Amino acid sequence: MSDKLLFDRIDEPGLDTIEVYMRRGGYESLKRALRMTPEEVLQNLLDSGLRGRGGAGFAMGKKVSFLPRGAMDKYLVCNADESEPGTFKDRELMQKSPHMLVEGMIIAAYAAGANRSFIYIRGEYELQAMKLEAAIHEAREAGFLGEDILGSGHSQTLVLHRGAGAYICGEETGLLDSLEGKRGNPRLKPPFPANQGLYQGPTLINNVETLATVPHIIKMGGTEYAKLGVDNSAGTKLISISGNVQRPGNYEIELGMKSRDIVYGLAGGPEPGREIKFWFPGGSSSPVLTPEDLELPYDFDSMAKAGSMLGSGAIIVVDDSNSVVDVALTLAKFYRHESCGKCTPCREGTNWTVKMLQRIHEGDATPMDLDIIASVQDQIMGNCLCVLGDAMAMPLSSMVAKFRGEFEQYIEEKRAAAGFGEMPEPSPIAIAGAA
Amino acid sequence: MSEQSPAVARYGHGSRIPGWDDSVDLGKDPAPVPDPATTPVPPQLREQIEAAMAKYPNFRSAAIPALHAAQDLHGWCSPEAIEQVACVMRLTPGYLTAVATFYDMFETEPVGRHRVYVCTNISCSLRGGPELLAAVQQAAGEDPDFNVRGFECLGACDIAPMASVNGEFVGPLELADAEQLVADLREGREVLPEKQLSRRACADPGAKAQAHE
Amino acid sequence: MPRPERRFVTFSIDGREVSAPEGVMLVDGAKYGDVEIPVFCYEPKLGAPVGACRMCLVEVEGIPKLQTACSTPVKDGMVVHTQTDRVREAQNSVIEFLLVNHPLDCPVCDKGGECPLQDITFGWGRGISRMVEPKRHFKKPLELSPLIAIDRERCILCYRCVRFSQEVSEDYQLVLNERGASTYVGTFDGHPYVAPFSGNIIELCPVGALTSRAYRFRARPWDIEGAGSVCTHCPAQCNVEFTVRDERVLRVLARDNEGVDDGWLCDKGRFAYQAIHSEERITEPLVRDSESGELVPATWEYALDVAAAALQAGGSKTAALAGGTTTNEEGFLLQRVVREALKSPHVDSRAGLPQVDLGLQQALAAPGLQATIPDLEFAHTVLVLGTDPIDDVASLDLRIRKGVRRNGVKLAVATSRPSALDPNAKLWLRYAPGGEHAFVAALEAAVTGSGDLSALCDAADADPKALEALAALLKDGGEDVVILWSQRLGAAPLPALLNVAAALRLEGRDGAGLIEVPVGGNGRGLREAGVQSNGGPGLSAPKAPGKPAREIAAALASGDLSTLWLLHADPVRDYADRRLWERAAANADALVAHATLLNDTLREHATVVFPAESYAEKEGTIVNLDGRVQRLRVAIGRPGAVRAEWQVIADLSKRLGLDLGVLTGPMATRQLVEAVPFYAGLTLKEIGGRGVRWQEREAASAAPAAPAGPVESGEPLPAPRPNGALRLGTYRPIWAAPEVEVSPALKFLAAKQQAELSPVDAERLGVDNGAKVSVTAGDATVLAKVFVRGNVPAGTVFLAEATAEQSATELLGEAPQLVSVEPYGQRPPVPLEGLARGARPSDDEVNS
Ligand SMILES: Cc1cc2nc3c(=O)[nH]c(=O)nc-3n(C[C@H](O)[C@H](O)[C@H](O)COP(=O)(O)O)c2cc1C
Ligand code: SF4
Ligand code: FES
Repeated sequence: MSDKLLFDRIDEPGLDTIEVYMRRGGYESLKRALRMTPEEVLQNLLDSGLRGRGGAGFAMGKKVSFLPRGAMDKYLVCNADESEPGTFKDRELMQKSPHMLVEGMIIAAYAAGANRSFIYIRGEYELQAMKLEAAIHEAREAGFLGEDILGSGHSQTLVLHRGAGAYICGEETGLLDSLEGKRGNPRLKPPFPANQGLYQGPTLINNVETLATVPHIIKMGGTEYAKLGVDNSAGTKLISISGNVQRPGNYEIELGMKSRDIVYGLAGGPEPGREIKFWFPGGSSSPVLTPEDLELPYDFDSMAKAGSMLGSGAIIVVDDSNSVVDVALTLAKFYRHESCGKCTPCREGTNWTVKMLQRIHEGDATPMDLDIIASVQDQIMGNCLCVLGDAMAMPLSSMVAKFRGEFEQYIEEKRAAAGFGEMPEPSPIAIAGAA
Repeated sequence: MSEQSPAVARYGHGSRIPGWDDSVDLGKDPAPVPDPATTPVPPQLREQIEAAMAKYPNFRSAAIPALHAAQDLHGWCSPEAIEQVACVMRLTPGYLTAVATFYDMFETEPVGRHRVYVCTNISCSLRGGPELLAAVQQAAGEDPDFNVRGFECLGACDIAPMASVNGEFVGPLELADAEQLVADLREGREVLPEKQLSRRACADPGAKAQAHE
Repeated sequence: MPRPERRFVTFSIDGREVSAPEGVMLVDGAKYGDVEIPVFCYEPKLGAPVGACRMCLVEVEGIPKLQTACSTPVKDGMVVHTQTDRVREAQNSVIEFLLVNHPLDCPVCDKGGECPLQDITFGWGRGISRMVEPKRHFKKPLELSPLIAIDRERCILCYRCVRFSQEVSEDYQLVLNERGASTYVGTFDGHPYVAPFSGNIIELCPVGALTSRAYRFRARPWDIEGAGSVCTHCPAQCNVEFTVRDERVLRVLARDNEGVDDGWLCDKGRFAYQAIHSEERITEPLVRDSESGELVPATWEYALDVAAAALQAGGSKTAALAGGTTTNEEGFLLQRVVREALKSPHVDSRAGLPQVDLGLQQALAAPGLQATIPDLEFAHTVLVLGTDPIDDVASLDLRIRKGVRRNGVKLAVATSRPSALDPNAKLWLRYAPGGEHAFVAALEAAVTGSGDLSALCDAADADPKALEALAALLKDGGEDVVILWSQRLGAAPLPALLNVAAALRLEGRDGAGLIEVPVGGNGRGLREAGVQSNGGPGLSAPKAPGKPAREIAAALASGDLSTLWLLHADPVRDYADRRLWERAAANADALVAHATLLNDTLREHATVVFPAESYAEKEGTIVNLDGRVQRLRVAIGRPGAVRAEWQVIADLSKRLGLDLGVLTGPMATRQLVEAVPFYAGLTLKEIGGRGVRWQEREAASAAPAAPAGPVESGEPLPAPRPNGALRLGTYRPIWAAPEVEVSPALKFLAAKQQAELSPVDAERLGVDNGAKVSVTAGDATVLAKVFVRGNVPAGTVFLAEATAEQSATELLGEAPQLVSVEPYGQRPPVPLEGLARGARPSDDEVNS
């Protein structure tokens, strides 16, 4: 057996067709799952220790078990929005092995008792949408979707839904609103989707990679799968590496691999002569880590202990040719642009942060502004409706904290260049009324 | 909705956001759900929208697919296009405007038919995304057939800096590719075939998952 | 659907034990412990909380993150802190963020002094801003509609206004466009936000972003007073608060009354106050000068003398009609004078609609058979029969939508004209105009399973399948069924309606029953006060039956009656058969009127016109649809020489030899209460600010009861068949009213005549949307602009009644009728001699 699961011979020609997929043993897991009871399938998922691959890392089996039992309209939604900067693993998987996702979804829906399922794919993934549409069609023709699948009594529809360009639709409740035909504003939680999700019905939402892993869990058995990886981080993980590395791309690793082996070993490290300045271990929303942190094993707990997170498994490497201020500004602009605007701290906080960083960029700032930037991040964190606000505040805080010296130097140099002269005394502006 | 002015004009008045400074036109009637008797809808569009509506437990879910279909037909989500969708879906045009303006891929102003989204997000910007955008913009010039936009991460950082050209991902691009890209589109050729992501193998082969200890 | 029961739970807030109803949100629960939690986006009237503004963050023990108090229900044993450093820090932050882009233009902002943002900044803000970047500045104020100005700089994106448009009025016209910091409140492609309830967003806006164009810069909160009263513009009788400055009404706000309006006002109720201060308001008595033939100002004494003499001369040949803002007291006194002093039995308030047998009226008004307005929201099934609430009783439209949206009420709509509620209905049915009787009889047949359903459906031109579905819905959809029916159905269908109610066992069931939509703001009260030809006070039998309005018109025209006395009534405009009424007015020996505005009829025919009080100047009572007696209170002084109506009637009565014994308004109320058995003991104090349903008082036992068995429902006439000619259906648009026409703000909405045609008929006639047509019945013609509507049933044309020009009442005779519709202007027009006042309308009039 290959040491890879999801990306095993991923480039094999024709793998996107049901013929090749089945020749390689595809849909065997589905048949096997349908011979089990939904509870047994769920037990396998619980045993596997599989944690969500979309960002939050919530145990998948547990999430399935949160759905109420009993006859009612339940839904499974696959989150294929993949818009977290630096993340592109789902894209390759859907494009090259769409049936793996379809099979995983049927098994997961069976375990959850959901009869209607949807894939919400970001609008920009046109090729991948076509491949999936074809795969769904083939699966339906083959009797893997529809009424009474393989005589199991389980019926399921699967609809591919294309988004139209909005990062917030990756957030699960924003996704649900968008899938319901509305603006993709996140919803208040509770109620959680497991109780009241799509069309007010219990809904299981999982990432593409999470669901695509399900057939492998069934094939290997949950406990066997759990042996892969390390404690609390079972299994293999698709890693997207990008930025200043020599071999950017997707790699499947076993969780717990040393970060340096990923960045330098697999991706080749930065261009010769360059040093790594910092890296995002889990997409642009994760607090940045320094080169020393490359010694850490790459798994959920280690990243959390280092003050960051594994997130979507997207490593972005920034080398010393780049200014931290430029990266911060690019980052902040992204979140400002993607804030849905529903809640105050996120809408105004991201906007204000960009304005402050722009002032730094233009040479019209003082180091006091760094304190305000840091404080504004604190004011955002934990106060928003969803975690998009935090997703900017966390990495930005980490940058200002870890690279304050560089920020200050940048401020001085830009000030001098822009001719703003001596730094003035800070003077907060009083506003009417309150004291 | 792409970022336009990098610098905030300190004391500049006036809106940088389309719509902010707009008053309604009191000469117009209010805009309720369009009456089918007086709102002609091209039959193939109606068919597409109705097929989409049938796919979901709640027809409203078809809003985005319907807007995609209308945009494909009209080139942009024009008021007329939105009215047609509204008429078939029995929603107000206002509802659909709100939806259309939320998403980056819906154009609510007329645009050129060649969609070129150049990624300017982190990974691409670390490898020259903004410069690439400028180069493509320059190559396209004032050509009204082009809709060149800076875009957020398109999920292809492995080929950074990259662009999505009428939906086809191409990269890694060099500044010199900009001219070629525009020329290919103008001539109706396949765009930078050797750089198309769809033909690219996975980066993984070198990877070795480590055995569990 | 049973209303949720309230159980109390105990929780701790800021160290205090507080008990509050289970399930209420913390923001509301906190109030039980006198703790105020600041909010912007939270407004329970708008539905589920959205948690957008983040102003209400509090600490709940056991939950790591701060929680939004607006969306966290109180639970037993919960421990909440609103004063900790963490909470204060969060509050300060949210305010700082809100003010990042909010202009500090409070000195010139209309909201200044009554602005939640100001107040909350003061109470919960840090008092400084660290933002040195420029704020956004945009053009302002901009027009959002002729009624509303929008100042986008000031908007804090709290979602209230758009939620109103989308989740309360459901017009879905006002939306948020774009996203993130670019989000703005707007409409589709620059169309104005014009919808019947649009004005509510002004009141909802917690900042000065949405302001009333009529109120802008008229007053500051510290120089105005609020005066609570009731709106009389339609039978919904929404509760209002007048904003008064220097004896002028400057604004009307909603005065939330769950039993009546649920806190919303329609734009007529909100803006038609302008009619009170209109130039055209009559402020002194007018008497027709015998030499010039013109109405000229006169002293009260002279006017009263002339009027008394005219009435005296008319004696038993006098007829009196009341309507509009007439209170119960005024109606009661009026009928006393007419019946007792003039010895005439001819009083009516039914707007020319058919007289309903008194026994039937008593049965329909039996307390056990009455549903309440809130029942519309909690019933299992609601049937709306023969009325479109948006036109006939505006705010109920919102109430019905709310029931469907929030409580899953199953709505059925049965009307001849497509209804605004159709899209919300589980089931909508159409019948032909003129087929009302047959339709209700068919419903009876379907519900009871007896009678010839298919023949009746045929007569009504209704779909028998749909009727069966309706019957099934009413029978099997749950016991709490409310039928909202219109007085405009006429008299013939009512026995069948009563039988339907009996078959569904609505009598005596809480949460179920009938609600009648009367025509006229106080239609129900006037009937209960005895202002009808066949009913005295308390729905008693009068000594002698009089003629109903229609017969009064005929009798005046023929000379059988000689004198007409009008109390806030304008039969020429409002009642069917305009031309008959014109003849009646012209032929009357004398016409005495109490009116606030002059109209052509009065200008040409009135003998005396008394300046009448507007609803803001009146005191007295009126009765809501479900029997809620409400109180009008004086908000402003009467302008000019205007006197209280009860006083004018009493003065006239004295001159006619009858001392009514009324020296004050409350004395009139006392007389009324004594005369109506089921009002017995009612006092103004008891009515108070919220009103009281008489059915819920002990005296209700004095009301007549419903008959035990089924009543004879009669043989319905078939609706006319369209045979090339079209059926005529009519309706009265909400905007067809003089107060709309004289209010500068509302003028633009004044109803214009339009012919609603089905696409089939439009094509057959070869007319496009917007073309002109003439609609002819006999020798009468009305000109109208074509409005092609996909959901108008083929074979019928709908025209508006009571428009200032070209009203459908020109065409309405006694019976339902067929009209011929012709393109206008292409062929030589049909002869127009029959038109009122002989003048052929100009093209401008048709187009305007
Ligand atoms: C702003 C934001 C963006 C997100 N984008 C994505 C995304 O693109 N794809 C995804 O799978 N999860 C995304 N998530 C995480 C989802 O909310 C959710 O946790 C995930 O889909 C659950 O699937 P999993 O348990 O399989 O990871 C995002 C979350 C946030 C707050
Ligand atoms: S205009 Fe007012 S009500 Fe509407 S979103 Fe803005 S602040 Fe809220
Ligand atoms: S950053 Fe450009 S594709 Fe991801």
